[in-house]
Amino acid sequence: MADSALKASIFQRLHPRAYLERFVAESVRPDGRPFDAWRDVSVNVGSISTANGSALVRLGETTIVCGVKAEIAEPELDAPDQGFLVPNIDLPALCSPKFKPGPPSDEAQVLSDRLNEVLSSYQHITSENGLTTCSRTASSPLQMLKTPVSFSFGVFDATLLADPTAFEEPLLDTTISVVVDENGDLVSVVQLGPGVDTGAADTLSTCISSAKTRRVVLGGQIP
Amino acid sequence: MALDRRRINGPEESFPPIFDSDALQWKVGDARKDRSPADIRPIFLQPGLISQANGSAYIETAKTKIACAVYGPRQSKNTAYSEMGRLNVEVKFTPFSCIRRRAPMRDAEDRSIAVAIHQALVSSVRLELLPKSTIDIFVTIIESDGLDGCVASGSVAASTALADAGIELLGLVTSCAASVVGKEIWLDPTEEEGRLSKGTLVLSCMPALKKVTSVWQTGEMKVAEALGCMDACQEKCTEIHSVVAQALLESAKI
Amino acid sequence: MSSSSYCLPGQPIPLPRNGPVPQLGGGIYVRDSELRASLVGIPQQEGPVLSISRVRPRPPAINSVVLGSVTRLSPLQATLSISVVDGVPLPAGEEFTGVIRSQDVRATEKDRVKIGDSFRGGDVVRGVVISLGDARSYFVTTARNDLGVVFAVSEAGKTMVPVSWQSMRCPETGRLEKRKCAKPE
Repeated sequence: MADSALKASIFQRLHPRAYLERFVAESVRPDGRPFDAWRDVSVNVGSISTANGSALVRLGETTIVCGVKAEIAEPELDAPDQGFLVPNIDLPALCSPKFKPGPPSDEAQVLSDRLNEVLSSYQHITSENGLTTCSRTASSPLQMLKTPVSFSFGVFDATLLADPTAFEEPLLDTTISVVVDENGDLVSVVQLGPGVDTGAADTLSTCISSAKTRRVVLGGQIP
Repeated sequence: MALDRRRINGPEESFPPIFDSDALQWKVGDARKDRSPADIRPIFLQPGLISQANGSAYIETAKTKIACAVYGPRQSKNTAYSEMGRLNVEVKFTPFSCIRRRAPMRDAEDRSIAVAIHQALVSSVRLELLPKSTIDIFVTIIESDGLDGCVASGSVAASTALADAGIELLGLVTSCAASVVGKEIWLDPTEEEGRLSKGTLVLSCMPALKKVTSVWQTGEMKVAEALGCMDACQEKCTEIHSVVAQALLESAKI
Repeated sequence: MSSSSYCLPGQPIPLPRNGPVPQLGGGIYVRDSELRASLVGIPQQEGPVLSISRVRPRPPAINSVVLGSVTRLSPLQATLSISVVDGVPLPAGEEFTGVIRSQDVRATEKDRVKIGDSFRGGDVVRGVVISLGDARSYFVTTARNDLGVVFAVSEAGKTMVPVSWQSMRCPETGRLEKRKCAKPE
């Protein structure tokens, strides 16, 4: 590492807020993105053979692995024609020094719950195919009625940042996440913290229209 | 089992699907399918994929996929003053890593694999240079095709991640598993092959120093078979060492 | 050192053919009278010392120069959350705990040191590790001209400038606050 890069990283470590302020004053972010730019996304499906379905998604330096395990269970008495969808998000200690080993943290529980709400309460998935014997050769995938995708935003010093990184996130005054389906319809919106008074449009509608535009761009990558 | 309020819970009971034709068509005396007895699965090894960790490595041997991250040296918390550093290994299976769905809780299997990896590595780390400190090694098994293979690949990934983290090592540790199947020794057995075998042995060593760091034998085998397994594993460990060396050199030169 | 190629942990390092046997720095060890690398890197000789160095976060050792922020004050000592060791920042959440005992604040008149007149919570302090301390913390000294507070915020919330080795001025109110300052570079 060069000496100047090391000095910058010491400054970043000791004064993270001032470090980000200086970048924002120059209309750029520490990773070189403009305020409204997104990190690259890659999607890879079906690489895990022990899962009935799987996806590996990379968003910048973030990696998410998801596996689906299908099992057979007796339905609830009040919903005899419905199955169960049990989504859980794990934030293992492997990923970041912020995560500690042990039972799910508050953060992981909140994220699991939000995922569960998006996936289940809107009934995006039907799982009725009438099969009783399982076959290893013929698979019948779950029918997805909708494919919701989530987009995150943050407000730092009255500046709206799209897709904030792990470094930016703890410094934000407001975080916003918008979930949009393939038709551009809203599925879920969460805003924590105050909006910014920019005069033109309010923060939330800016985020929503930006999420819709981005959803169209990502459309081709989602199977 | 008690309801875990910290997770989204499914139904109380659920069963994995049973498939119509599953049984393995193999009997004693048949040759090994897909590869010769002394062949191991091809290794893909990539150091430094986890940007937040001090060091990391991802290893793939055919279906087996393991990610490993090294954090620290961190200040040891809640422990007495110690002149030597501590090495902490934690292993986690993803719920979808095995044929059978795994509950998210840690179980005995996680721990015994963690102990085996710890054993393989601990004598290679210069812990005397790290008083009062702890090195955390987190291993996540994303997909498992044989537990012995997970111990071996997990150890290789962990040693690579330690080197990537710039932690002083006496040497790089490589590791290989061998099973006695019928009268033959099959290296790097898959889960299916592991079920056919009577006994399995995992050997970990530092090829640069010609020193063995751990031998982990389960099941039953004759002494001569155990020695045969060790010889075969040691030979392969030297080959694996060059894979690790190449991966580390390539990532160091970038 | 003639070789300029990368070494891996465990790899033997050839000794220079002529010249004295080098002293060993970091990243190299001797076993069975053979020099071997313990880090990935290129062995380099600086004066009599042969070493492999890697810029990686590491725990404090004796004589490490550390930067940290003051987290707690007591009449006897100031507690420091160390976030930079020997010029390399530690990742967020991976701080080491250090303490500056009142006798280690400055070199003279040690018994008249008042911790409250030397540091305040949130100050960034440069210090040197004098011992590994106890189970909880490393012992740090600021008893040198170049050691002490390098960054502090006044009661009015502004970054202060040092005016002497024991006071800093707030640029807004002009008031002086007492600190054990490090001599600016």
